[in-house]
Amino acid sequence: MSGNTKTLKLRIKSVDSTLHLTKAMGLVASSKMRKANLAMAAGRQYEAAVQNVVDLLTASPDCQSSPFMREFKDGGKTRLIVIAGDRGLAGGYNANVFRTVRDFGEAEIIPIGKRACERYGQKIVSSEKFYAADAFKLAKELCEQFAAGEFDRLGIVTTNYISMMTQTPDIKWVLPLTKGQNVKNTAAVFEPDERTILDIAVPEYLSGVIVACVRESFASEVAARRMAMDSAGKNAQQMIDELQLEYNRARQGAITQEITEIVAGAGN
Amino acid sequence: MSTYKLVVSTPDGSVFDDEATTLIVRGTEGELAVMAGHIPFITAVKPGKCKIVLADENEKTATIGGGILTVQGDKTTLLCSDFQWN
Repeated sequence: MSGNTKTLKLRIKSVDSTLHLTKAMGLVASSKMRKANLAMAAGRQYEAAVQNVVDLLTASPDCQSSPFMREFKDGGKTRLIVIAGDRGLAGGYNANVFRTVRDFGEAEIIPIGKRACERYGQKIVSSEKFYAADAFKLAKELCEQFAAGEFDRLGIVTTNYISMMTQTPDIKWVLPLTKGQNVKNTAAVFEPDERTILDIAVPEYLSGVIVACVRESFASEVAARRMAMDSAGKNAQQMIDELQLEYNRARQGAITQEITEIVAGAGN
Repeated sequence: MSTYKLVVSTPDGSVFDDEATTLIVRGTEGELAVMAGHIPFITAVKPGKCKIVLADENEKTATIGGGILTVQGDKTTLLCSDFQWN
């Protein structure tokens, strides 16, 4: 009987240390949450502002012949920027992103985030420490290659942050540009002309979208981790309670047996 | 002097969102100043100095890393990838 209580005690101890770990990770995630949310809001705001400019430009007839406006035809080359987390233990966060990518088997992949880089076997790029300057460099490169016809479609696989509880993986098509919708005819003056400004605006736009997506994904990752750690913590606590009960019963049983043995011995 | 709403937006958030009387930047065709009542206007901005005259006539200068300037009605937006107050 004492062997049984010993193994139970060991198990309780190990589950308890897991509980500590999940608690700590949950706390780290919550403290990162606020900062991630602020960064996400800033990124979204910038993205909306550049989107507005690009909509104005793409609606103008002069820009229709721009290489960035050429239509995507079936069989064209697809390139995907895949944004995943730097770490695991975030529920289904990384898995959901990779599942979305699986539908585009033939696409070239540019991973951001350690998990994605490891999966697609490329140089490690952190998604937590991904700055606007990195995005601009990447955007400029991609724009040049797109204009040169090296690929025909660019998508970003990201995770939409809907709320603390819900995050959904999504794919955003950014290139080629689509014609601006609902644009009021502002009759604005373009200096020097629409095409030149579009050529300058596209890298700016692309980097804005990339930055916004990376930050939104990071906020989703942190939120997903918090939720995952919360439920893991709950499960660990439940397990400890059950084991504790079992342990107490075993202990009680052992004592009762001992007493019975002593009484039986004294009776003889 | 009359003022207009000026927003300077960067990927790290808006660094300026207030009333201003004048904005001076280097456009592709040379230096230009935007004052209240400017016609709708879009241009690319070259890297260089940028000067903002506030509503109380105080001046603020900054270094910017290129971007796009849009003047739409009563709102003027300067989008830039890099912006640093001097």
